[in-house]
Amino acid sequence: MITAEVNLKEMAGLIADIKEKVEQLMKISGGMQCVDRNCDRILASVKMLEINISDVVEFFD
Amino acid sequence: MKVKGTDFYWNPILETLPREKLKALQLKKFKRILKWGYDNSKLYRRIYDEAGFHPEDVKTWEDISKVPTIQKNDYLDAQAKEPWPYGDSLCVPLEKVTEYHQTSGTTGQPVYQPDTWQDWELLNEMWAYILYAQGFRNTDRVFIPFGYNVFIAYWQGHYACEKVGCEVVPGGILNTEERLLKIKELKATALMATPTYVLTMADACRTKLKMDPRDLGIKKILCAGEPGANVPTTKARMEEAWNAKVYDHVGGTECGGWSYECIYQPGGVHVNEALCLVELVDIETGEPIEEPNKPGKLIMTLFDRLAQPTIRFDSKDVSMWGEECECGRTFRVLKGGLHGRVDHITKVKGVLFSPVSVEEVVRGMPELGDEYELIVSKKGDADLLTLKVELAPGTGATPETVQPELARQLRLKTNLAYIIEFHEYGSLPRYEVKAKRFKDLRKK
Repeated sequence: MITAEVNLKEMAGLIADIKEKVEQLMKISGGMQCVDRNCDRILASVKMLEINISDVVEFFD
Repeated sequence: MKVKGTDFYWNPILETLPREKLKALQLKKFKRILKWGYDNSKLYRRIYDEAGFHPEDVKTWEDISKVPTIQKNDYLDAQAKEPWPYGDSLCVPLEKVTEYHQTSGTTGQPVYQPDTWQDWELLNEMWAYILYAQGFRNTDRVFIPFGYNVFIAYWQGHYACEKVGCEVVPGGILNTEERLLKIKELKATALMATPTYVLTMADACRTKLKMDPRDLGIKKILCAGEPGANVPTTKARMEEAWNAKVYDHVGGTECGGWSYECIYQPGGVHVNEALCLVELVDIETGEPIEEPNKPGKLIMTLFDRLAQPTIRFDSKDVSMWGEECECGRTFRVLKGGLHGRVDHITKVKGVLFSPVSVEEVVRGMPELGDEYELIVSKKGDADLLTLKVELAPGTGATPETVQPELARQLRLKTNLAYIIEFHEYGSLPRYEVKAKRFKDLRKK
């Protein structure tokens, strides 16, 4: 098995940044569906990152 | 922090989380979905209000068992009204729903299941845990011999294959022989099917195409849809027929792919306890069961599905906790996967009877074919059990040589006597998806 060094807090921070950027993009899209619908899909994937990483960060000091 | 097994676990953090942290995570997520259901679903609010319960009543882990359960009938009563067709069970604006599925309706009217795109991603994520635990990698070419439709079966298998990086071959429109030839042509390395169909395909390969399924190169088979891959004799038959590892998984429309057997094959399925909560409770009293080897029914909660949440759903599926697995996952194991449903486990001649135990006997006798049928009927006040079997071709066995040993093993396993009928090989029904081998004629 491969062992790797990871920083959960840093990962969670970047996940939050991605979410914020995508939401900003939606705000300035003018309602263009090609932007909004793809952003919606990205946000669903970001939610999976939150479930996998961000939700558990508080349980590690 | 150091994380071990980035190449072995889909999520090495969650899958190996110490139990106390896992329970804390589950409690946090349970509270979150409970509040979501109460705030957004007329159905859940009605159930909780009528029971005098409020989500803020849940403060500790022990409080979870006080939350009212939801039954299939609750969904049915709430549906088939506006917003059509989900009615009061819908928790999001209808325009957020991107996926429609429904239960099979084998026990009555089907339940409609809406999902948002995010819900759909979640269900696919759950399946990614399954596939990765069973050794599916981006070097695999996976053949799915199933036509996806209004039922949820195998949709996530397909999309999770993509997520994991496998090449996925949808073989739905083909017939059995065409599917086998396509597997051979493409050199597929893995397969997903019900245990029934895995055996049907192997049989068709030998009898109709005159090929040995072992020569097709399938290395692993993911089973779903019915018990079998955790019935040891059935698993052994499938692994022998295909020269492949066979892995079980349990899932459903209401809860997605919530469990999986790992490559260590611990004799059961791991519950994905990071994404859902599975409670085992006594069938009669509803009291929680924590100790191994005591059967109970499963109460299911899926933490992050929003369009139509599943919160303490009474699945009526029967299982039992098993021992720890050596794979390193802290997710608990349900021994033997699913053992059946509460409404299938019935009393025959006053004895508690599970049809799966007959399968274990039949599939354990090499003189018998894969198929069988089990019928309970009544003559006067007496229950009659009839078992129809086929002799496997080429074994030289006769009904006279097989019957005594079969009757003995059935008696040992189930403590019941059977009328045993031998039928010509190939004459009993064959199934492509879920088999219907057990018929209880007493209930008519």
